[in-house]
Amino acid sequence: MTALATTLERIVGPTHVLSRPAALLAYRSDALPGHRLMPSLAVMPGTREELVAVVRALAADGTPFVARGAGTGLSGGALADGIVLLGLHRLRRILAIDPAARTATVEPGVVNATLTRAAAVHGLHYAPDPSSQTACTIGGNIAENAGGPHCLKYGVTLNHVRRATVVLPSGEVVELDRGDDGGYDLLGAFVGSEGCFGVVVDATVQLTPDPQQVITLLADFLRVRDAATATSRIIAAGIVPAALELMDQATIEAVESSVYAAGYPRDAAAVLLAEVDGPSIGLADDARAIEQLCREAGARGVRVATDAGERARLWQGRKKAFGAMGRVAPHLVVQDAVVPRTALADLLEEIQAIGAAHRLRVCNVFHAGDGNLHPNIPYDADDPDESARVHRAMGEIMARCIAAGGTITGEHGVGLDKLAYMESLFTAETLDAMCALRAVFDPERRANPGKVVPVRSCREWHATAAAR
Amino acid sequence: MIRPRTTTEVLEAVRAAVRDGRALRIVGAARWNDAGHPVRAPETLSLAELTGVVSYRPDDLTMTVEAGTTLAELDATTRARGQWCPLLAWGDDHGTVGATLATATSGPFADALGRPRDLTLGLEAIDGTGRHIVAGGRVVKNVAGFDLTRALVGAWGTLGIITRVHLRLRPRPAVDATFAFTPRGAGLPPMPIAALAQVPLPSAVAATLGVADAAWLLRVGANASAVAAARAALDGAGRVVELDAAAWDLVRRDSAPPSPARQWRWDPLSLRLRDRFDPQRLLNPGLLGEAP
Ligand SMILES: Cc1cc2nc3c(=O)[nH]c(=O)nc-3n(C[C@H](O)[C@H](O)[C@H](O)COP(=O)(O)OP(=O)(O)OC[C@H]3O[C@@H](n4cnc5c(N)ncnc54)[C@H](O)[C@@H]3O)c2cc1C
Repeated sequence: MTALATTLERIVGPTHVLSRPAALLAYRSDALPGHRLMPSLAVMPGTREELVAVVRALAADGTPFVARGAGTGLSGGALADGIVLLGLHRLRRILAIDPAARTATVEPGVVNATLTRAAAVHGLHYAPDPSSQTACTIGGNIAENAGGPHCLKYGVTLNHVRRATVVLPSGEVVELDRGDDGGYDLLGAFVGSEGCFGVVVDATVQLTPDPQQVITLLADFLRVRDAATATSRIIAAGIVPAALELMDQATIEAVESSVYAAGYPRDAAAVLLAEVDGPSIGLADDARAIEQLCREAGARGVRVATDAGERARLWQGRKKAFGAMGRVAPHLVVQDAVVPRTALADLLEEIQAIGAAHRLRVCNVFHAGDGNLHPNIPYDADDPDESARVHRAMGEIMARCIAAGGTITGEHGVGLDKLAYMESLFTAETLDAMCALRAVFDPERRANPGKVVPVRSCREWHATAAAR
Repeated sequence: MIRPRTTTEVLEAVRAAVRDGRALRIVGAARWNDAGHPVRAPETLSLAELTGVVSYRPDDLTMTVEAGTTLAELDATTRARGQWCPLLAWGDDHGTVGATLATATSGPFADALGRPRDLTLGLEAIDGTGRHIVAGGRVVKNVAGFDLTRALVGAWGTLGIITRVHLRLRPRPAVDATFAFTPRGAGLPPMPIAALAQVPLPSAVAATLGVADAAWLLRVGANASAVAAARAALDGAGRVVELDAAAWDLVRRDSAPPSPARQWRWDPLSLRLRDRFDPQRLLNPGLLGEAP
């Protein structure tokens, strides 16, 4: 047992420090296959004081660490390579709910859906709803600036965080907000920093009133292109759907063959799941307008669901699509590019062509209203040939999305997985500026080192490395 | 006065300033108020001639403009395509897009349509070390890399000079109605949120409001039946007059130009941020009341 482990045990108690390899196996990966790294040690503080004390002990020791919430990340972000893993799942207290101010203050390990359940008695909910919401944590959501189907209308995590207490890697505890009373937007810089700027100790988030009424529609199309066209037209018409999700044939097939069957038409090339919510007056008109726009774009049929049970069934397939694809093959790689909405139709065709060229099956299920693509490929990570083909196909898909004026990640983060694409997206000077922003919070680069920005992009790092 | 016409010219000017240790006062249309914290700089760099719409994609509801473009031009361009320039701020529309973002100035529609920081998809800027930053992108959802855009918006030019921005636009709703509303009974004030909660707000664009002379000004954008319902609810609660949307221009123009907070938060983290992006204090030194 190392001296550091002994110090940490003294802070959190011996049962909350893991160092045997067998015990650390659970932390070897996140929800994305293809990346596996073992931490040297895992430490799980149970209180705010313990968390701060742990970070200070790591600072005193000069040891790098990786914060981890639920490990549902899809970019390899929560992996620790021979360094300390800081597990936050024990910090799961909801500290306060203020129904009048519509806010909640929570510890970082609170599960997203747990917060919504706790707010329900007040007719409120936490709006950002990643499809992993029954497992992922608010701390992880803040670190990734997570999105979700309903972020089309309500905005992503950043739009719902009011303030946060953060322990910097140095052990300093700071208060971050958006600078509305005269200050820099430090919270805006922190949200989405993927665990590289510090650890969320607590955060105050906004709660959203439950809508008076919700209408869900399912439009089915014989051509993917038509579903993409309908998407653009709905947005352009000035209707703001609560959600607008597209699933292609491969996804429909996976869902309908699974226990999550939602009654999607199996012969459709694509289905569009649209939802409107809000005060009931006028809502039906918005739903009718969406139905009309879908039909004009070539929809074969449109189902409209107003009662909760039928709506839940339509959503079930979408929410469980990843799980359903998981049945098709042992592993699933999930991508997360964003393109201008008008480029969706062409890109979906190109993605299919790239998949076919590499003899892979690509399932698309994504946030169409935002242009946020999720091309997913079920495969066997233990088959080196197939893995290599997946890797090449993903590289080609990313290159196409960048060329179309898009970006490499809309909500899952860069982590380890998309590090290689950062230099094709950003200039050297911009990457250097990102390193400078990180240095404001973590000058020693001890929080989640080696993620997000390739280390060689940091000019300062070059300078110190050269001086050594 | 330095008057660059391109981002490259701004870059050259800043690099020269960095070399000589010469501070710059950065202005767009030079309309903001220094709130008693004058900039200490021997030279002014104006972005008023770095203008123009670089690209406008109505179907994507996005636009790229040079920082010196005025809000009036942005408004005219988007209006022509039936879209909404959600940046329109309190004050007149001679102000520039760059300054609106740098000062994080918003207007009456911010609650419904977004603040500058929500509407900025990406930007180009030259920071105080002479780095040319190309942050964010043109798409509406983006978490690639650390968020330089958020750091630069609202920083009053003290971290970098914004030269070009990618904006998110909003479609205009089917019906865009403006009402002057005088609640029955008691005088004016306690109208806003409480009374609005009784109004069935439309789902398309939530209503926004401001104070006009003797009435609340409300804007309701939605489909026809939602707007009619909102109108009926208002009729039941007071006197309502429907106005032309131009009423908003009058109300906006009546307000003061933006000025930085008297007490800027200079905590250690904020100082470190300034140190990393403008170590020589070349950009608008003094404006945020920092020690020389
Ligand atoms: C089936 C499935 C569906 C998904 N759907 C969505 C979706 O719709 N939208 C979406 O955005 N994402 C989605 N995700 C991805 C993932 O759930 C999110 O990224 C989520 O925010 C991760 O939360 P977590 O608690 O699991 O974080 P982890 O995976 O544990 O960590 C993610 C990152 O956050 C950092 N971190 C964690 N806690 C803290 C903290 N307290 N302070 C600082 N840094 C911290 C870690 O270091 C790491 O870099 C999905 C994942 C799965 C498996």
